[in-house]
Amino acid sequence: MEKAKIDAIQLFILIFLFELGSALLVPLAIEAEEDAWLAIFFGLAVGILIFLIFHALYQTYPDSLPTQYMRNIIGNYLGWVLGFAYCLYFLYLSARVLRDFGSMLLTIAYHETPLFIVNLLLILLIIYTVYQGIEVMARTGELLFVILYVLAISGFILIVSSGLIDLSNLKPVLEDGIVPILNVAITQTIFVPFGEAIVFSVILPYLNNPKKAKKVGILALCLSGINLMIVMAVNIAVLGVNLTKRSQFPLLTTIQSIQIADFLERLDVFFMLALIIGIFIKITIFFYAAVIGLGDLFKVTNVKQLIYPLGLVVLLLSNSIASNITEHIQEGLVIIPFILHFPFQILFPLFLLLIVYLKKRKKNKA
Amino acid sequence: MIRVFGLFLIPAISITLLTGCWSTTELNELALVSAIGIDKNEEGEYVGSFQIINPGSVAGSKSTGQGTASPPVTVYTSTAKNLVGLSRNISAKASRRLYFAHTSVVVIAEELAREEGIKNLLDALDRDPEFRTTTAIIIAKNARARDLIKILTPIDQIPAENVIKMLKTNETMSGENINTKTRQVIDALSTKERDPVITGVELTREAEGGKLESIQQTEPESIIQVGGIALFRNDRLVDWAREKTARGIVFLLNKVKETDISIDWKGNEEAVVYNMIRQHTTVKPVIKNGKPEIDVHVKAEGIIGEVQVAIDLSNPDTLKRIEQEVNKEIQGELSKAIEKAKENKTDIFGFGESFHSTYPEHWKRFEKEWNDTYFSELKANIKVESFIRRTGLRNKPYLKDTN
Repeated sequence: MEKAKIDAIQLFILIFLFELGSALLVPLAIEAEEDAWLAIFFGLAVGILIFLIFHALYQTYPDSLPTQYMRNIIGNYLGWVLGFAYCLYFLYLSARVLRDFGSMLLTIAYHETPLFIVNLLLILLIIYTVYQGIEVMARTGELLFVILYVLAISGFILIVSSGLIDLSNLKPVLEDGIVPILNVAITQTIFVPFGEAIVFSVILPYLNNPKKAKKVGILALCLSGINLMIVMAVNIAVLGVNLTKRSQFPLLTTIQSIQIADFLERLDVFFMLALIIGIFIKITIFFYAAVIGLGDLFKVTNVKQLIYPLGLVVLLLSNSIASNITEHIQEGLVIIPFILHFPFQILFPLFLLLIVYLKKRKKNKA
Repeated sequence: MIRVFGLFLIPAISITLLTGCWSTTELNELALVSAIGIDKNEEGEYVGSFQIINPGSVAGSKSTGQGTASPPVTVYTSTAKNLVGLSRNISAKASRRLYFAHTSVVVIAEELAREEGIKNLLDALDRDPEFRTTTAIIIAKNARARDLIKILTPIDQIPAENVIKMLKTNETMSGENINTKTRQVIDALSTKERDPVITGVELTREAEGGKLESIQQTEPESIIQVGGIALFRNDRLVDWAREKTARGIVFLLNKVKETDISIDWKGNEEAVVYNMIRQHTTVKPVIKNGKPEIDVHVKAEGIIGEVQVAIDLSNPDTLKRIEQEVNKEIQGELSKAIEKAKENKTDIFGFGESFHSTYPEHWKRFEKEWNDTYFSELKANIKVESFIRRTGLRNKPYLKDTN
């Protein structure tokens, strides 16, 4: 791990932007129809529990990376394999998000540009950022946070003032009871975006004041969760459930419906900026975690040497993981949550925590 | 050495990567489509008419003061089995690529909407990222969409703009049409809880509208005018509502902004005019004895616009009486509109939607036979409250009381 420190506000911003990332853009939890915001709420609640799990691990080993403490907890070999699996998981997720970015941009604006070129441009930027290290990432985050919030607030004012919001679109609440909502939360919102915060187990050791980690993490998760709930509720209130369901990017359609005074319209650029800011931070963090983790596992003295080759891997992976957007999204919604998100976000951390607990008890007895 | 090399490398990379010249399209390679018209021919193919703006004749003529020889728009037509095909086939005729981001109106022929329905038409428009679904959609009443697209208009040069402005002005001035957006129609088509309504537009006279001479006179040979509201059942046009009935529909959709309500006074027909300035209509679904009912409540504010008989407007009691008459008139219009929709078994007001959101359990029972049974037997309780706020610059008319 590199010698660098970030402060609590920077961590807060990184978690916040990371959570909004791609979740802001897609029809999150729309399977819960009018109650999508409720499903996001349940996801948030469980997401905070997940955060508490890996925060507990962090508290036990405040100065070491997960790849290090895993070897401490479950033995050198097994821990190494698990750490390696985590690095691959983060690398795969960065490729997935990069693919999200490329397909979105191609769908919305650049129909004739090859996916490879679009992805290449972003990954070059990300390689550069990661090369500069965590402090630069954190400062970039601060800057982008301000931009994103100004956009979000002005966008919200524009939507409200053009009278687009029809709250009756959000009714009826709980039409088929709570079961379908929990179902969506369990299969989707817990893992994406809230469970994905597991990647911050790699970032936490950089925090200059470890005591603040818990508070900052929970606050950032809550704020991003509330923001996502508002965005989804606004989408549904403006577009109605039907259209939101059919849209690849409901937020874009919502922004496109703004028409004020015959000249404030077609504000697609709001969406584009949110897309690029959110996704940039999200991939950067996943990628950074993978690079740092692999550097630690393979005892690479200069971690920066890994960045270019791994960037190339992410780029090629992002092009080859799916042959079309439907396949890509289906994988993300149906397959990945069960075979990847569930074990990596909940099962393994819980298992590690259990062993730590048992070890401690044994120590105390002895 | 490395530093010098780097200094050259950075601009070199930036120049190649940051220019964004991939698939560039300059403005002079695009044909801006201002309106799309869709008809159907005898062979069962779609006929698409694309109104394309002539940039030269729109921009230049005013500053030089000379009228150019070419009209402000050009219309290309093509035939195909689907909408994407229509636009592709134009490339055999037009010199530029069609660009749809600035399309302001979509015209659908009445015949097509009546016989085949519109559900197959809109997917291409919905899916394409270039086309905006906030674009207005209208029905060419008693006319081919092609003829409507071809008409040149006198005041606003680009006909599509003219039509849009006309619809908007008419919507605010009379409340007898609604400016339906493509997205709203698609929304209504995708649910059972609402049926679409689209404003119809007609030609005053059949004429050679495509010639520049037709607008080079004080009274153009043919102009486009609003022709009522088209009621759809599912995706098929079933009936037209005009004037007062049309206004009733717009009231129920809470889209009326300003309008004039004329009432009879002591045997004189439409002798007092009430200028409505603002109104708010709420529709509330209720269930009585297991049957759906709808409570409509209109609240209107306005002023007296014209009095053709001698009435003492300085007397508050008179104003009360006028208010009551206005209430009756509005109530009548609303019931006419509801009757019309019931006759055609088409829930254009989205009552189904409000039942679904207020009474989800009951809705499960209504859902299957909503249009056929429940909607067509729906009881509507209409309550109107109108207020006269001012009477204009005069209180008593100059007419002496003759009665």
